[in-house]
Amino acid sequence: MLPRILPPLLLAASLLAGWEIYCRLADVAPLILPAPSGVLQALVSNRADIGAHALSTIAVVALGFSLSVGFAFLVSIMLHFLPWAKKGLMPLFVASQTVPLVALAPLMILWFGFGLLPKVLLVILVTFFPMLLSLLSGYQQTPTDFTDLLASMGARRFSVFRHAVLPSARPSFFAGLRISATYAIVATIFAEYAGARRGLGIYILAAKNNFHADLVLAAVVVSAGLTLALLGAIRLLDRLTARGPKARYA
Amino acid sequence: MLDLHGLTIGADGTTLVRDLSLSVPATGITALIGPSGCGKSSVLKWLAGILPKGLQAEGQVMLDGQAIARPCPAISYQPQSDALFPWLTVAQNAALGLQIRGLSRAEALKRVAPLFRSFGLEGTEGQFPDQLSGGMRQRAAFLRTVVHDSRYVLLDEPFSALDAVTRLRMQDWLVARLADRPRGVLMVTHDLHEATGLANRILVMAGSPGRIVAEIPMPLSHTLRSEAALALLRDKLKSLLLENAP
Repeated sequence: MLPRILPPLLLAASLLAGWEIYCRLADVAPLILPAPSGVLQALVSNRADIGAHALSTIAVVALGFSLSVGFAFLVSIMLHFLPWAKKGLMPLFVASQTVPLVALAPLMILWFGFGLLPKVLLVILVTFFPMLLSLLSGYQQTPTDFTDLLASMGARRFSVFRHAVLPSARPSFFAGLRISATYAIVATIFAEYAGARRGLGIYILAAKNNFHADLVLAAVVVSAGLTLALLGAIRLLDRLTARGPKARYA
Repeated sequence: MLDLHGLTIGADGTTLVRDLSLSVPATGITALIGPSGCGKSSVLKWLAGILPKGLQAEGQVMLDGQAIARPCPAISYQPQSDALFPWLTVAQNAALGLQIRGLSRAEALKRVAPLFRSFGLEGTEGQFPDQLSGGMRQRAAFLRTVVHDSRYVLLDEPFSALDAVTRLRMQDWLVARLADRPRGVLMVTHDLHEATGLANRILVMAGSPGRIVAEIPMPLSHTLRSEAALALLRDKLKSLLLENAP
């Protein structure tokens, strides 16, 4: 554990130290670039406010990401069993990824208001496709010998899927989960930035408008922490559900 | 007796196997040898009812004189790899075929449990395949193949991935297991030593398109075969394969 986390910790500490030294030696105005100590101070002083906004962000991420994963899972099964649907729908899913968030987010707010719905929809839109692709790619990685063996035993298509295809997709599923988790946090904050009553996105916007660079960066620190916590939870889930001594972890 | 009549396999206008017929007796090993690409594995897969997509086949399979559809519970198939699922324990792998054929997981595990001892797998029930040696994995795969009382077993190069010593041990072990639990075995192999040492009958295939060019019965039991006689037979098989090489 320690050898794995030590290099990134040392690198992060070195960067922060360099940043701190530069701000102090160059006498940079905190309005432009606050030192890390200033950011930490702002975070501690405003922890209640930032915490409340972070909770709102967590709620959107949890709901949007869960719905997205569940939806991707169901659609992936449908596309696996219906190749013609895959041919028809995949171009639409690909096209959905080309719509710029900066255009879509304000429209979502306009159509669905400042509540939970537009933000959840944006999270689904951003995270659904990578999850779907990961699952479909995982299904295709099933060894032919596994499916042949089950078919020779008289297994029907769904039985082959349940016993061989689905377990074979496990490493791809967790890889997709990790990628989508990072997208989910970024998409939520962007959606809140475009229009919300609560959340880290709207907090960042308000802090920026009031020239509080230290608060903007404090919110960024919290969002990075949320991403790391979500990735940690996924890693834990992977370990808890892994079977066999060589089960691969995300 | 398992009889295959007039099998022709083709894809995109090319004929892979043409009008092939063969029989597998109810006991003993029939070895199917031939050069790579002559269609040996495709014949085996077609018999198992799992011909790959893109291949078309015509032919008929008779079991004791009756035409049968496949996959058929009387025929078991073991692919080239041991195909043990890494996420299942050895016992769960062995019980998989029974589950597919309708038994609950608990019933299937109960049915396979007494067999672990005779297959030299006692104590491995709760282990995962990655924790077993190559030979033990093959035994576990063979246990899974024969556990559901199928009368015929199709083995696609079952020992090709094993080292020389383990392969020899597994060949002896297979002969002993078949003496305990007689089955009709059709085994694809590239190895002339394996074919002459194990089989009761050898079918030689040639390619382009795949067909059977010779059928060689092995009159003596495994224990009575002399190395000199086997060497002569291997020379004969080698000549046959070279004569019919494309």
